[in-house]
Amino acid sequence: MSGAALEHHLGPAPIYNDAVVKKFVIAAIFWAIVAFLVGVWIATELAWPAANLGLSWINFGRLRPVHTSAAIFAFGGSALFGTSFFVVQRTCRARLWGGEALANFVFWGYQFFIVMAALSYVMGFSQSKEYAEPEWHIDLWLTVVWVCYLLIFVGTLIKRQEPHIYVANWFYLAFIVTVAMLHIVNNLAMPISPYAAKSYSVYAGVQDALVQWWYGHNAVGFFLTAGFLGMMYYFIPKAAGRPVYSYRLSIVHFWTLIFLYIWAGPHHLHWTALPDWTQTLGMAFSIMLWMPSWGGMINGIMTLSGAWDKLRTDPGLRFSVTAVGFYGMSTFEGPVMSVRDVNALSHYTDWTIGHVHSGALGWVAFIVFGALYYLVPVLWHRQRLYSTKLVAWHYWIATLGIVLYIVSMWVAGIMQGLMWRAYDQYGFLQYSFVESVVAVHPFYVIRLLGGVFFLTGGLIMVYNFYRTITSPTTELPQAIPLVPVTSPAGALGVPGE
Amino acid sequence: MDSEPGDFVVGALMAVFGLIGLFLAARAADDEMYVFGLGLVVFAGVFILGLIKRHYDRLDAARAMLRVRSDV
Amino acid sequence: MIKHQFFEKNAIFLLVGTLLTVAIGGIVEIVPLFTIETTVEHVQGMRPYTPLEMAGRDIYVREGCYLCHSQQIRALRDEVERYGHYSIAAESMYDHPFQWGSKRIGPDLARVGGKYSNDWQYAHLKNPQELVPESLMPHYAFLADTPLRLDDIERRMRTLRAVGVPYSDEDVAQAAADIAAQTNPAADTTDLLKRYPKAVGVAAQDGRPSEMDALVAYLQMLGTLVNFADTNTERLQQ
Repeated sequence: MSGAALEHHLGPAPIYNDAVVKKFVIAAIFWAIVAFLVGVWIATELAWPAANLGLSWINFGRLRPVHTSAAIFAFGGSALFGTSFFVVQRTCRARLWGGEALANFVFWGYQFFIVMAALSYVMGFSQSKEYAEPEWHIDLWLTVVWVCYLLIFVGTLIKRQEPHIYVANWFYLAFIVTVAMLHIVNNLAMPISPYAAKSYSVYAGVQDALVQWWYGHNAVGFFLTAGFLGMMYYFIPKAAGRPVYSYRLSIVHFWTLIFLYIWAGPHHLHWTALPDWTQTLGMAFSIMLWMPSWGGMINGIMTLSGAWDKLRTDPGLRFSVTAVGFYGMSTFEGPVMSVRDVNALSHYTDWTIGHVHSGALGWVAFIVFGALYYLVPVLWHRQRLYSTKLVAWHYWIATLGIVLYIVSMWVAGIMQGLMWRAYDQYGFLQYSFVESVVAVHPFYVIRLLGGVFFLTGGLIMVYNFYRTITSPTTELPQAIPLVPVTSPAGALGVPGE
Repeated sequence: MDSEPGDFVVGALMAVFGLIGLFLAARAADDEMYVFGLGLVVFAGVFILGLIKRHYDRLDAARAMLRVRSDV
Repeated sequence: MIKHQFFEKNAIFLLVGTLLTVAIGGIVEIVPLFTIETTVEHVQGMRPYTPLEMAGRDIYVREGCYLCHSQQIRALRDEVERYGHYSIAAESMYDHPFQWGSKRIGPDLARVGGKYSNDWQYAHLKNPQELVPESLMPHYAFLADTPLRLDDIERRMRTLRAVGVPYSDEDVAQAAADIAAQTNPAADTTDLLKRYPKAVGVAAQDGRPSEMDALVAYLQMLGTLVNFADTNTERLQQ
């Protein structure tokens, strides 16, 4: 259906709530720098422990959850909230349900959650369940905010003018709903008092281990994957001006991904006291998971069909497509590491850290950068970005940073694993544990350098956005019309504006 | 844009949260709960003030529009 | 044959369909761990933590020690040789939450109990590099300067009881006395050791236990409760 016919069929586009989207975009950019900075600091602490400064509130144990929460929930989360609100409104041709006040509550309530969580860690309060460190009262607050987020998102879907729900929204919805389930179940705990920031998990030992990694792996699968796939399914076709490569593949991709991902948790517990049958199930499903993951990668990359030249001219799009490439790499590496015998070497080593960051930096951060480079000029009504050259600089510096990071961690991790299991010619363990610590030091320094490069790229991005928003050179040439005009004809399947 | 019903629902909710925060801070058994409770109070207070401000800003804008139209 | 339109044209069907799909894996993998009895082995020796050890464990949890130290020896030859018998599920059955860890920046601690003297543990926590120059561990001297909070011990034990740890009424009532006994080398510990065998005593300065005292008491019993000479693999098999 051509654009003009679309207008005639559905009426003029409503006035979207872009104010809350802008807030989340600014928050995402701010928290990105915070997350990268704290990451650089803790990498420094691992390379030179004197950087702990003898202070309780910035030592590695207290600061590491600040980094992971800032990266996943503050940076990643703000980007997901913002883009999901942008995408759902435009693909449904409906203004956000619930009104401005509710949307503002979700924004400020989420920022409050982030700040309170970080404060609690440095003050010495943590549940010490990975990516679920906040204590019970902060978890409760997040639940309130999350329920409102779900209401706004589903409400907007229900009031849509567009009859079909676009694929990006399936992924965003799966992300919101599944994260709610995971968060509530994993964080079930008894506070010692309603006025104390201390609780005990209702689970213990081996059962807690599986509940935690059912949660932890699916925090990756749904927060860091499904949600960002939603981003990919909107911003790549939009920036490329091409429809998604295959509708049928989207359907298969979606349902198999969300079904298989949930089972993968046990691969975090190979060779432990978790029962063998559970470990085997987790391994089998993790390997099967490779297929829908690559299905999504193919769908994303092949959307560039007929528009490959845009990779030369649009550095923002370059970020998005590279992200999908790293996604493919990580979703191949993951199943490999899920194989029990590979895991015997990799578990507890820096290889796991390398794997996490190829996904977090290569896939998550890059797909966000790609989306932001598209979004910022649109949201602030600018003609274009201040400088495409700076985007290219960001791209290459950040990519170099990622390569330094993951290669140093691969080497460190495999070396640790091999040293721990090495026997000398007399049949004794060859290396003491501390010898493996000494051996990885140079790679910790290289990893730190990789992080510094990534942070530098982020700062270049901040500068570029600041100039984009404020510089007279990026202003639109004519006044914005008060009445929305008919949008130009778009190719079939391109999400409506 | 008139006052939406959402404004009042969210405002009432925030008032409740602010009160809860006050209780938590008052009876806090540790520093973290104290900070959280106080934070809730401040957050609720600022948010509600923001809602009220927006309400009157919108009223003023609507009145200004009417004045412009009647001048024409 | 359901057409995909069924989901694409109805947000509630999409939501419910998604929720059902993602619920399945969790139910199949998690529920049997609670219902299959062989998941947690029946062994002699396991007991809840003493009040002092529990307080020490709470400090271990809040400081994020699990981020660098695992507490789970895998059933792998080199690991068993380096750290001791592989960890069995029963050994962490009272750990709310579990602290098996996922990264070894420092060594595994599952059986660190008794490997080093109390003095070594204190010195190492205060300044790790003095004992292990290449160590990456931060300094935890501040724990020695912080008095252990005693006013919420009973509340903690009652809460743990509510989530399934079998503390008796006597255990809860004796909590303060137990801490005093465990931190005073001159005290009579027969009653304490009757209810909590293999508890390790520490020496509090000036009769006022510090957070470090609690942490050391916890570390020094890790992995010591189950006597593996007494059992064999067949009896531990799931």
